[in-house]
Amino acid sequence: MGLFFPLTIAREALLAHQRALGVVGHNIANVNTPEFSRQRPELAAIALGDRVGAGVRVADVRQAIDPFLEARRLANTSALAAATTGRDVLDRVQGLFPVQGPGIGDALQEFFAAADALATHPQEIATRSQFLGRAESLAGQLRGAAAALATMQHETDGQIAQAGRDANGALATIAQLNRSIVAAEVNGGTANDLRDARRAALDRVAQLLQINVIEQGDGSVSVFAASGATLVAGPDAATLATDADPMALGLDGNPLNRIGLRDAAGSVIPLGGALGGAIGALVVQRDQTLPTNAADLDLFATTLRDAVNAVQTDPTGRDLDGLAGVPLFAGSRAADLTVAITDPRAIAAARSANPGDNTGALALVAVGDTTFGALGGVTLTEFFGTVQAGAGEQARRADDQATIEKTVASALAAQRDAFSGVNLEEEFTDLMRFQRGFQAAAQLITVSNRMLDDLLGMMG
Amino acid sequence: MIQRVTQATLIRELQASVARMQRQLVVAQETVSSQKRLLEASDDPAAVARVNRLRGETRALTALSDNVAFGTAVLGAEDAGLEQAETIMTRAREIATQQASGLTSPVARQQAAEEVTELERSLLALGNTAVGGRYVFGGLVSGAPPFANFDDPGFAPAIAYTGPGDPFVIRSGTDQSLRLTTAGNQVFGESLLAIDNLRQTLEAGTAPVASLDEIENGAATLRAERASVGARLARAQSRDQEISGALNNVRKALGGLEDADLTIAISDLVQLQSALQATLAAGSALQTSILDYVNP
Repeated sequence: MGLFFPLTIAREALLAHQRALGVVGHNIANVNTPEFSRQRPELAAIALGDRVGAGVRVADVRQAIDPFLEARRLANTSALAAATTGRDVLDRVQGLFPVQGPGIGDALQEFFAAADALATHPQEIATRSQFLGRAESLAGQLRGAAAALATMQHETDGQIAQAGRDANGALATIAQLNRSIVAAEVNGGTANDLRDARRAALDRVAQLLQINVIEQGDGSVSVFAASGATLVAGPDAATLATDADPMALGLDGNPLNRIGLRDAAGSVIPLGGALGGAIGALVVQRDQTLPTNAADLDLFATTLRDAVNAVQTDPTGRDLDGLAGVPLFAGSRAADLTVAITDPRAIAAARSANPGDNTGALALVAVGDTTFGALGGVTLTEFFGTVQAGAGEQARRADDQATIEKTVASALAAQRDAFSGVNLEEEFTDLMRFQRGFQAAAQLITVSNRMLDDLLGMMG
Repeated sequence: MIQRVTQATLIRELQASVARMQRQLVVAQETVSSQKRLLEASDDPAAVARVNRLRGETRALTALSDNVAFGTAVLGAEDAGLEQAETIMTRAREIATQQASGLTSPVARQQAAEEVTELERSLLALGNTAVGGRYVFGGLVSGAPPFANFDDPGFAPAIAYTGPGDPFVIRSGTDQSLRLTTAGNQVFGESLLAIDNLRQTLEAGTAPVASLDEIENGAATLRAERASVGARLARAQSRDQEISGALNNVRKALGGLEDADLTIAISDLVQLQSALQATLAAGSALQTSILDYVNP
């Protein structure tokens, strides 16, 4: 062991602590970087067989990552995105059935109140005009709600296509990062920051689709959809695409998109089963919730139309001029329900030649108290209340679910921070620790240098 | 329990707490300003269906209340008209009794005939009593009066009434109705005929012996109708009270479901504001760091 040996040890120590300080600096610099996982320099003694060791080196720079926690976070990301997406749509649906202020329920009450006034004043033109106005208002509210549901479905359909395009970008990024990570780690290195970037890309995909991720031995990951379809395999990414499904028509009569993987021939192979994530929630809302609400509105509108028109066209029904009554409402569903009568005199409020007869109007009023088998044995008011309460219940459940998933996400984020996050106090403590190590190594050089000076001085 | 707390955790928790309280504050402010606890269906889905039903009942009861108020006005007008008609018949009976004596002079009979003519005109006018332009003894129809004018050519009591024969009925409850009118000829027909016969007898200068029974029969019909109107009026007034009570109950139930308790709402709002201020103040403590103690 020569006098230069301590200098070699000191040099290795300086280099090791310099690198350790670099890692700490990297951590501090990324304290606010999302998805960044803190890194730790693994210091190891340089062994020289049975002799005294040769100092210290940075054996590895490891990331603080809990793979099981990351898997749980990824699953929660999909569930949270599905819940919040569903909640947003359902919140808009319940907005179509307001509890306070103008809406279908309000218009229905006004319609029957106007019918009541008509029964008391069957000859008054003003009362008849008011009745027609209330009927138009009710039909308008129904048309508006039906149109809003159709628009929401169209928007949701567009969002699915857009989400597919967004997912393609993230899938391509994952495939690219797979290539880079495999190349970086082939000689035993650790591409920590590339792995962080890949986790961020996986998180973006998980927001859109429920995915299963399997890490391969070479450091790449394979990504699968919930149905088992392969989305990423090593350096290759599949392409999500949409095409018009002629078998699935929307509320506006136009075909809806189906989402799937584009094959080599350019065809779209639909992704089967539950998709999960935001896309899964959008598909459920588009294909189930919105059509169900539209069907309820249609049932309400056609029942109202048939019941009122039956009164109007009763064989004994007569308008103010003694003419037979004509249907009040026209249209085949809520979206096209209109008031067919424009002349207030044409309302068949009478059931005799007597223009002051109010028995037809009384029959109109009675429609409000009638229970209908088609509506499940309830009145129009009660049925609408059920639709309204149903929309509210769905929105509330979705909100509860979103709150639960958000709470889970918050807990998982805290757990991740605890395991992988940067704590500045820790980093500054490490900073001082490695600084002291560096200073000590420098002191070792000074001492060794003096020893050499002393030795060389003896020769002088 | 989180063992290792990072800066990101502290900031995220602070942001989450502030965001949650701000959301609650928005809802609390909306509750105070609207004074409603039921702002959208998801606030209480079960209550929404009940609110709809109660609003339907409120609408129906309000309409019934309007109906009964209108009915009360019509029946009141009928009662007043019938009371005057009874007075006319009483006067007609007095004249008939006076003129039944063979000692009455022709001049006196002519004078009596003129008075009876005016009584007949008055009775016809009462038959055309209207409320809001609608004839209460003519099926509540508007337009042409149900009884012809005395001075019309070819006037005859038997054909004087041209109004509808069917009564006008209003709803006074879900399964209840109230008849407002009786066809004018059924009410005034006999009286008109009796007075018209009396007038013609007097104009002919003869003693109106037979008129006394006719007048009595007509007056009896008027009394019977007035009794019927009185009974229906009493029923209308009773229904008005019942409807008013029911309406109060429904409104109370509706208020219980959808109205906010303002005292609680305001105290909730103040409490949330205080909590938010405290959270923000506590957040400023997060600024303390090891950096404050490390010399570069």
